[in-house]
This record gives sequence, structure tokens and C-alpha cells, in this order.
Amino acid sequence: MTKRLPLDGIRVLDFGWIFAVPHATAWLGALGAEVIRVESMRAPDLVRFLTGTDGVIGPNLSGVFHSINFSRKSLALDLSWPEAQEIARRLVQCSDIVTENFTVGNMQKYGLDYESIRRLKPDIIMLSGTPLGQNGPFARTVGFGPTTQAFAGLCHLTGYPQSFPCGIGGTWPDFAVGTAMVFFLLAALHYRDRTGEGQYLDLSMAEMVTTMIPEAMMDFFFNGREQSPQGNRASSMAPHGVFPAAGEDRWVAIAIASDAEFVALCEVLGAPSLASDNAYAHLPDRLNNVEMLENEIAARTRDIDRDELVRRLRERGLAAGPVYNTLELAADQAFRASAMMVTREHGESGARAVPGLPVKFSAIEPDYRGAPRIGQHSDEILDKLLGMDAEEIARLKESKVIF
Amino acid sequence: MVSRQPLPEALEGLRVVELPCLDSMPFLAAAMAAKSFADFGAEVIKVEPPRVGAQERQLGPFRDDRRDLETGGLHLFLNTNKLGVTLDLENSSARGILFSMLEQADVLFNPNPPSLNARIDLSGRSLTERFPNLIVVSLTPFGEDSQYRNLRGGDLVATHMSGVGYETPWHQVTDLATQPPLKLAGRQSDYLTGYTGAAAAMVAVFDRTRNGLGQHVDVSQWLAMVSMIRPNLGGSTHESPRAPAYQRLGIRKKAGAQWVYPCADGWVSFNAGTQRFWNGWKTAMGQPEWMEAEIFATAADRAAHVDVIEAAIHDWLSTITKKEAFQRAQAQHVPCFPVHTVREVAENEQYRARGFFQEHDHPTANKVRTPGAPCGFERTPWRIKRPAPRLGEHNRKIFGERFGLDEVELARLAAENIV
Repeated sequence: MTKRLPLDGIRVLDFGWIFAVPHATAWLGALGAEVIRVESMRAPDLVRFLTGTDGVIGPNLSGVFHSINFSRKSLALDLSWPEAQEIARRLVQCSDIVTENFTVGNMQKYGLDYESIRRLKPDIIMLSGTPLGQNGPFARTVGFGPTTQAFAGLCHLTGYPQSFPCGIGGTWPDFAVGTAMVFFLLAALHYRDRTGEGQYLDLSMAEMVTTMIPEAMMDFFFNGREQSPQGNRASSMAPHGVFPAAGEDRWVAIAIASDAEFVALCEVLGAPSLASDNAYAHLPDRLNNVEMLENEIAARTRDIDRDELVRRLRERGLAAGPVYNTLELAADQAFRASAMMVTREHGESGARAVPGLPVKFSAIEPDYRGAPRIGQHSDEILDKLLGMDAEEIARLKESKVIF
Repeated sequence: MVSRQPLPEALEGLRVVELPCLDSMPFLAAAMAAKSFADFGAEVIKVEPPRVGAQERQLGPFRDDRRDLETGGLHLFLNTNKLGVTLDLENSSARGILFSMLEQADVLFNPNPPSLNARIDLSGRSLTERFPNLIVVSLTPFGEDSQYRNLRGGDLVATHMSGVGYETPWHQVTDLATQPPLKLAGRQSDYLTGYTGAAAAMVAVFDRTRNGLGQHVDVSQWLAMVSMIRPNLGGSTHESPRAPAYQRLGIRKKAGAQWVYPCADGWVSFNAGTQRFWNGWKTAMGQPEWMEAEIFATAADRAAHVDVIEAAIHDWLSTITKKEAFQRAQAQHVPCFPVHTVREVAENEQYRARGFFQEHDHPTANKVRTPGAPCGFERTPWRIKRPAPRLGEHNRKIFGERFGLDEVELARLAAENIV
């Protein structure tokens, strides 16, 4: 008998869309849960149209969608129909977890809010992940990850010294929040398995992000001080920065955590006298003179090949790395060897590689299945879980309740 | 408030041991992972080096900038609800005590680099062999099995080797040479790695319930950050030839008016890129005539003329406050939030209405206010039952009461700086 996956037997009814919730349910699906992604053909996930395959855009061709929505089934259900809402409610009754990230109030409109569905399935676990949470004066606002990082304080703190607040790449914090959602859902499931009790999880993405800026929040609470952007610098290390290498837009990240490491850095740069300079020898001096120090270092890195410089720094045991764009990352030998990229058949794109989970389990082989076409499993789900016959399913399709 | 009612807790009964990071580079991932467990009811024993304590004790921020191992802000935030003991992990008798703790533990969070783990017999592989029921979560810069396992890393390196740094600032670069790729404020990748480790540890808890054994969970700070830009990675394998998904300079021209812009009293972040949001933004701006021009009809048109649009939006935003922009845009269902300063985060009415920031008592730091629940749990709420431990506060309780070390033995170990 093959080993059971850790979430085998758990069914997740996933109304989530865009990034955060689908990312969380990708973990759950790859680890054995049966994830049913409920999506609408009338108002499809816009990620299905964000990118395409070989230049062609289409609902089943989105490389970005496929990167997030693996290991699940797709049920295309138009929730604006009462009959579709009834189908969703019947599916709740045979599910363990419900996830959603609609604007506050939408699930209630469909009769699928927690108060309604707990009456159908008392031990259901439901997670709502919204920009600002379910209550409070701004609960009903709309937002994306990048606007949420602004609300949460992260954006104002990120930036070059004395410069403008900077947005953070990769639609941060969508995937960070999605990862944390896995922890919250499994904690609630752990509790349910022990006590038989389900519960509602009300996640505010902004609050979650604010738990990740304790340095600034505690400084304000203690000292009333408002920290400002520090570029690539750190409060306890110097140099700690991104320095130019030879060529346009080529950079090396270097983090020096001790005086001894600084000596090694200066030797690599062929400037041992910098290490004995009173302005730089000890950390407090380097912190005080950080801008001058950064200029000294940049002057010595800008003609060296990026990867060659990284190699020399690493040879001395220093924390250094190339600044990668995505394609350079994908080509990195250790990244390739990590086997994080997994190739499956996705939608109508054929066999394509997408990133799997970032973690390796010594005793779990995740079950990666390609992302579904929209509505790919509608028939199967209505037949197997709700016992509908072919005639009934055909009628629902005819009336556009399902697709 | 420190609550004393016996409320149900999600992770009650789970026992966690958290090791300190002994590298010179601060790495707070294990502290965050273990905090997640502690704040939802697991018993967490935090192990720290004698005398100096865990890294976060040294890092501040300090009240009135007075250095104090017991009252640093990061320590008070990260170590709530934990029991604290001291052990010198370089010492083999101390490791003997650790091993007896691990006999009874469910989860170990270990943030030490593989080379150190190998030297002091704490590698994931050796620990899972010795303790078959234990879930060993190693949190390292590149992963215990990576080709890069012996390289130094950390927040800066992980951020920039992942591709996240390359995309920051997001849509705002106007000069490549003077605006290098940028890291995120604070220690985002440490905390992300912590949440990733917490999620993975819970997966392993379920696996143990199903299959009976613990295992090694290998969490890489680098790959945790890579997971944050997964759309680019999968997006690029769908295109031939593979094009970079993000160009630092060119992205503004591709994406049109969105994200961070100045206004009268600060900054706002919004998205007016899609047709629906553009229409909403137009209404929010009062339907100015220029916006009806043919050259702004589609998203692609607008991206091609982003300089014109931005200039006009700058003009308009310069006449209103961030709160006004927020209210007007949201009235049209356009995603737009103020770029809050730290003070505005601390004082904003949304967080206040939800009771996000929480205050608790600490014996020497007095009233301590910290960020609160990362997620609202209706039945088993996040809560602070106990402030961060004083250095070695629970040595007697854990080593003495639980593992039977007598006073003489404890005194000897203390004298030798082993505990």
C-alpha cells in the first residue's frame, strides 16, 4: 500500500481567487487534500488572462494561473444563480474547509457566509482572507497585495534612504499571506480533529503584514520614533548592501556581520587598508560612516564580473549573492538541482514546468497535478459528490448555472 | 491584557523546542515559527545561549535606546508565551540535556547552518534517526540538502537571489544606475521563512498522525522567497523564447498607472490599470475631459502613454490628501489605500476597531504593546498568556522539575556556563 499523504481525506471547497488563497490551497492540494476550486465562467479569475502560452491568451493557457493553481479540481459554477448557490451549499456539507477572499459581504449575498454554512455543517472550518478583515470601518474596501502592503506600513518603510516609499515586487504580500494561511488552516484542523469543533478564521492581510514589521512598530511604541527607509542597509551590520558589478544593471548583494568578515571583504576587494582605517574598522564606525563606506566598496566592485566577485566572496565564507532576475534564477545550478520546478500537463498549455512547494519533507512526496481547465471537473464533482445524473447536469449547463 | 481564563487553544498539547541561531548573521526565522506555535497554544521551550541570550535580545529596538537583554522590542514581541532555558549547545553535557528534551518534543525548530549542525550532531538526518517521532524543522539560508548548503546567506542575500529584490521598487525605477534593486524593510524574509516553517511543521504533524513517524523538514530561506515570485517562474516556462517577466525600467510602460504616487500629504497606492478600475478612477477624479481622449481608450494605449497619465494624476493628487484619495477611489470600488507611516499604522481606526495591537504586562518592561493576531480565530483566539521569558527563567522548572537535575548539578552547570 502506498503511503497516505498528510491531508488525505480532507476536502477543501475553495472560492478563493487571484493569488493568496489559491496559493494556500495549492499547498493543501499537493499534500493530499481534495481541493475543489469553485470559479465562475461569467466572472473568471483575472489571473486566467494575465499571461498566456507562447503568446496566446486564453482561460486555459495562463502560465501565471498554472503556477499557483496546481493539484486541484475546477468546478465552474455561476453563483449569481440561486440554484448554483444551492449546489455550493450542498458541497459545503461534504467539505472540511471552506476558503474565500471575496470583498466583505459577497459570501453573505450568496448565502455562503460562515453563519449560514455552519448551520449546514457545524464543524466546518472557514477562512476569509481580505485586505482589512471582516469588521471595522474600512472592512468593505477593495484592495490587492500591493495596496495592502501600503496600508500595513511596509511600503513606507521600504525605499532608498531619504527617498520615496517603494512598492515591493511580486505582488507582496499575497504569497507570504497564502503561506501563513496554510499554518492557520492546519492549526484549526488540528483543533477540530481533537475536539470536533470547527471555527471561523478572519484574516486581515494588512494585519498579517504588520506582524512582520516588529522592528518599526516596537520602536514607535517604545520611543515614538518613526523609522524611515534604509535602502538595503541593516541596523546591526555594515556594509549590508547591493553593489554594482561590471555591465549594466548587474549587482552583488553583500552582508557583513562582523569585523573579521569586514577584513575578509577588504582583502577580496584588494583594499586591506580600508579594514584598518579608523573610519571603518569597527561596526559602530562603519554604521556611522556607512555612505562613505558604500562608495568605497562600490568603486572597487563596479569593474569586476558579478559572478566572479560572488565566487571570491563566498570563497572567504562571506554572505554574498548575485542579484537575480527570474530567468537568471531559473538558470542557477543549485536552484535547478533543488527540483522546485515540476513539469506537469496544465490546462491547454501541454507539459510546462511550474514552481512547487519551497519546502522539502523527508517522508512526503507531494502530489503535483497540473492546473485544471476552467470547469474541467464540473461533471465529475456533481456526479460523484452530489449524485446528479447526466440529464440534470446537462440541464444545469443549458441554463448556464454550471459550465 | 494577560488573559487568565482557560480558553481553548488550537495547538494545545503540542510540544515544541526552539534552538538559537549561533551564526554571526541575525536570523529570526525559528523565533517567528515558534512564536506562531506558542501564541496558538503549543508549549514552546526556547533554548538560548547562556549569558548573551538569543540574537533578538541584542537587536533592540530598546526603550529610550537603553540596551537591555530583557526588554528589547524584538525579544518582547517574538518570544511571547514561550518558556525560556539556557544551554550552551557547543557543550556535550548541554546537548545531553537537549536530547532528553527532544525525547518528549513533537517539533524542533533549528535555525543553524548545516556546517554547524553537522559539527555538533544536530543535522536533520541525525536527529530524525535518533528521535523517530520528532519533527525536525531546519531553517537555513539555502536548505540542508542544497548545493549551496555551506554558503552564508540571510535576509539580504535571499531577497536578492530570489528575484524579489530585483522587482523592488515596484514600477518606480526611473534610473538604473542610481536605483539598485532593493530589499524589503526590516527582516521580511526571516519572518516569511518562519511562517513557512510553521506551515510545514503542521503538515508534518498531520503526516505523523497518518503514518506514525516524524521526519526532517528542510526549509530554505532562499526558496521560501523564490516562492513569492512563483508567477514569474511559471509564466516564463509558458513563453518561447523565455522573456524576463519584469524589466526594472520598462515595466511602467507595460503596466500603466498603478501603485505608489505622491499626494498632498503623503502617498497613496492604487491600481487603475484594468478597464474597470480606470473607469472608476475617472469618476473618482471627476471625469476630467483629458481622460476621454482616444489615446487612453485601452489598457495598452494607457500603458504607452503612461508619462502623460502620470503627470495628470500627479497634478490631481497634489490637491487632495491620501485620505480623500482613498475615500474617493474606494467609493468607485478602485483598490486604493493610503501609504501609512508607522504612526498612522499604530493609530489607524481600522486596526483599533479590530483590537489588533495588544498590550500585556512584563515584570521589568511594564506595559508592552505589540502587533497582535496574524489571523482572527473565532473559537481559539490568538492571545498572550505569558510575557517573553527572562534569560534562563525556566531552567529550574524545565531542567529540575521535568528532567530531574538537582540543585547541585544545576549549580555546577551554571558555574561552568553550560546553562
